[in-house]
Order: sequence, then structure tokens, then C-alpha cells
Amino acid sequence: MKEMLIILFSAILVDNFVLSKFLGICPFLGVSTNLKSAMGMSLAVISVIEIATALTWPIFYFLLEPNNLSYMQTVIFILVIAALVQIIETILKKSIPSLYRALGVYLPLITTNCAVLGVTVLNITKSYNFLQSMVNSLGAGVGFMLAMFLFAGVRSKVDHADVPKALKGLPITLISASLVSLSFFGFKGLIEKLFA
Amino acid sequence: MNMLYALTAAAPSVALPIIIITVLSLALGIAIVIIAKMFALPVDQRFDDVRAILPGANCGACGYSGCDGYAHALADNQEPNAGKCPVGGPDVAQDLASYLGMEPPSFTIEVAQVMCQGTVEHTKKRFEYSGTLTCTAAHGLFSGPNSCTYGCIGFGDCAVACPYGAISVENGIAYVDRDRCTACGICVKTCPKSLIYIIPKRLNTYAVKCRNKWPGAQTRKNCSIGCIGCKKCYNVCEFGAITMDGPLAVIDQTKCTQCGKCLVVCPTHAIAKGLMSYEEIHGLPTKAQEQVQAKTAG
Repeated sequence: MKEMLIILFSAILVDNFVLSKFLGICPFLGVSTNLKSAMGMSLAVISVIEIATALTWPIFYFLLEPNNLSYMQTVIFILVIAALVQIIETILKKSIPSLYRALGVYLPLITTNCAVLGVTVLNITKSYNFLQSMVNSLGAGVGFMLAMFLFAGVRSKVDHADVPKALKGLPITLISASLVSLSFFGFKGLIEKLFA
Repeated sequence: MNMLYALTAAAPSVALPIIIITVLSLALGIAIVIIAKMFALPVDQRFDDVRAILPGANCGACGYSGCDGYAHALADNQEPNAGKCPVGGPDVAQDLASYLGMEPPSFTIEVAQVMCQGTVEHTKKRFEYSGTLTCTAAHGLFSGPNSCTYGCIGFGDCAVACPYGAISVENGIAYVDRDRCTACGICVKTCPKSLIYIIPKRLNTYAVKCRNKWPGAQTRKNCSIGCIGCKKCYNVCEFGAITMDGPLAVIDQTKCTQCGKCLVVCPTHAIAKGLMSYEEIHGLPTKAQEQVQAKTAG
């Protein structure tokens, strides 16, 4: 149990996928303009990550590794994730059209989202078992959500700030993203002490 | 199948990955198809039909992002006016209205016009301009090289912007080809002098083809065909269609009855009729043609 908590919280805080590993920056910058679509995007990412892990872990350990095909992991994982996103997009379009429209182009972008692929690959390289992988994926997803929410808040402040003309728009967004990212370095070493 | 056996026998290490990928792709593909069928959305046939009726110029003159935007608004019943597409003209408006079951829209055919007649014969150059040959750049440098700082610069930003090739620059000012112009309004936004206006396309449309706001004397000095603000047309108009915007007469096209009195009294020929120039109306050779004739004679 303690081990699971360590995995969960280090994935959320210490090894935050967006702010410490710098994965999934594209939706992080693109959809964090308002809280509502940030929420939707995070939920979509969490569900895609979870389902992707649940599918890729067995595929790797029951299909690829016994046949000495570990080198095919990237190709197969991308295939699975792309298909998953397609399915989720179809379901969202029908069930929650407003969310579908709010996410816009960023939903198909999850297909090539390095955060999703990164989590599934890291689960294998860290040789987690199935349960650990699922917990790690959940942590990654929640970490993504946390980063999105924090940054959406920062952005709403930046929008009203008097920014120098040359830095307006994307430049100031990237600068504030780096500052938020800096703050996450404060979590280094926290988890081990917490559960020690 | 024979090929697969041959492959398996020849290179078993290649066959297995191929089989795995094929099977996995097939399974995922089938899953996608099943989900897509389960969550199929009813396709809006109206949108496709409306989109097909629209001309597809995507110029945005209707006020929407393009033909798709307008078609969406029409198909979703958010837009009650079927006559917003100037490119398609009355035919498209009629088709749209009958397809969507709306009132037939009243559609006035419009055309863009450059409100300046200050050709090289009528104006002078204040200085030689040798910068970037666009109106916007020239406008930024002391409002352009022409003696009239309100007039057409004639580098043809509008001609470049026009998606229909309807604008050409002759004798230093831009002309709109009446037959090609669809009144989409892109040139109106492009002109740095805001000289281009959309007016009703009638052979007897009267327009003050000048936009300068100088006092009459200064206008006289700089352009021989500009509006000098003498108010003669203002006083002669019985319908109140002409208003004075400072020292500049402006004709309200909605009030104008095309009686033609203003054209007669205008001392500088700043008022043009039927979207034609002064010389065209009176059947006179233009100054450019005269010069050519003089050269050939001499």
C-alpha cells in the first residue's frame, strides 16, 4: 500500500509529467486558457492514459516480450493509443458535444501526445507490475490535471497583467510555464521523506 | 496463405511481428468501426445542400468566417437572411431562400468603387517615392507621394488582394472592373486610404468620387477633379440625398433618386455617373487617349 502511495504521489508531484518531464506541453499550453476546457482535456487525458496502460501492459508482457519483440513496443503502443483516441473522440462527439467542441483540435492531438506514450513506455522501463502501472498512470494523469489547473489559474492572472508588447501572447505564456515548472522542483525528495 | 507459409519458413523472425501488427490493427480497426456505428451521429443533410448552393469563394463578405460558417448559420436557422452572399448574387439568394423555405430576400446588386479620380493628369507628385511598392508602405511615408494625401496611391494593394482579379491600376489610380467585381469587400479593408466603397451597381448610380477633406482652395491646388465643397450639389438636390461632411459632399445611395441634377452643377466633375468617369459619360476621349493622339499626329 505504502509503495502504491509513493508511486502515485511521485507521479503527481515529483515526476510531474508536464512540469518536470516536459511531456505533453502542446495541450498544456493550448487548452489551459480557461478552466472548463482544461478540466475536460485533463479528464480525456486521464481516461486515455488509463485505458492505454490497461491495454499496452498486457500486450507487452504477453505478446511482445515472450516473442522477443520488445523493440516493437513504440510502434504497437502508438497504434493502440491512436485507435483509442479515435474511439474516445467518436463517443465524446455523440455523448458530450459541448466538450467535444471545447477540446477541438487538442483531442486528436492526444494521439501523438508524448505524455500518453511516455507513461506507457515508462511503465515498461521501470518494470512495474500491472497494478503499479495503473497507479503510475493515474498519477501521471492527475499530475497533468494539476498542472493544467495551476497553469490555467496563472494564465487568467497573466491575461490581465500589463505585459511588455514584445512578450505578449505565447512568450509570456512560456515564461510563466517555466516559473510554474520551477516551483515543482521544490517537491524533489519530499515523497521519500514523507513515507519513510 | 502460401506466401505466408513461405515467409514463415524463410524468415520466422520477420513473420511473427508482421502477423502481430496485422492482427492488432485489424482488431483495433474493427473496434473503431463498431464504436462508430454505435455512436453514429445523424448527418445534417441541410448543411451539405446549403454548402453546395453557396459559391465557395470563402471571401467572408457575408460576415461569417467563410461559406461553411454561413452555411452552418443558415442550416441551423440562426441566420434569417438568405441574401448575404454578394458573390452568388440574386440567383444564389433565390436558391437559398427557396431551399430553406424563407422569404425571397430583397437583393441589391452592389459593386466596389474607388472614390478617387485623381489620375496622373489631375494630380502632381510631391516627391519621388522609391520605397516598397505597396500602398500601405507608401502611405506610411508622409501619406504617400501624391499631391492629394487623401487620394489613391496607385500601387495596387487592392488589386493584389482582390480574389477575382477585378481591380487594375491605370494612370496612377485603381479601377474596379464592374463585371468581375462581386462586392465581397476585401479591397475595402485593404485600402490604407479607405477609398473603396460598396455602392449599388446601377448604370445611373451617382457618386462623389472624392474623399478629400481639405478646404476648396487647397483641393484645387493639388487636384483638378477633387470635390471643393462648393455645396452646389447640396443645394440643388431635392431629396436630401447629399450631405456635407465638412468640405466634402457625400451622396446617400438609399435616398438618391438618380435625377442627375448634381452631376450637371458640379464644377469640378468630382461627381461621376453610372460608375463611369466624366469623359466616358460625355463621350469625350480621355486625356490619356488625347496624349496618344497628339503623339501620333506630331
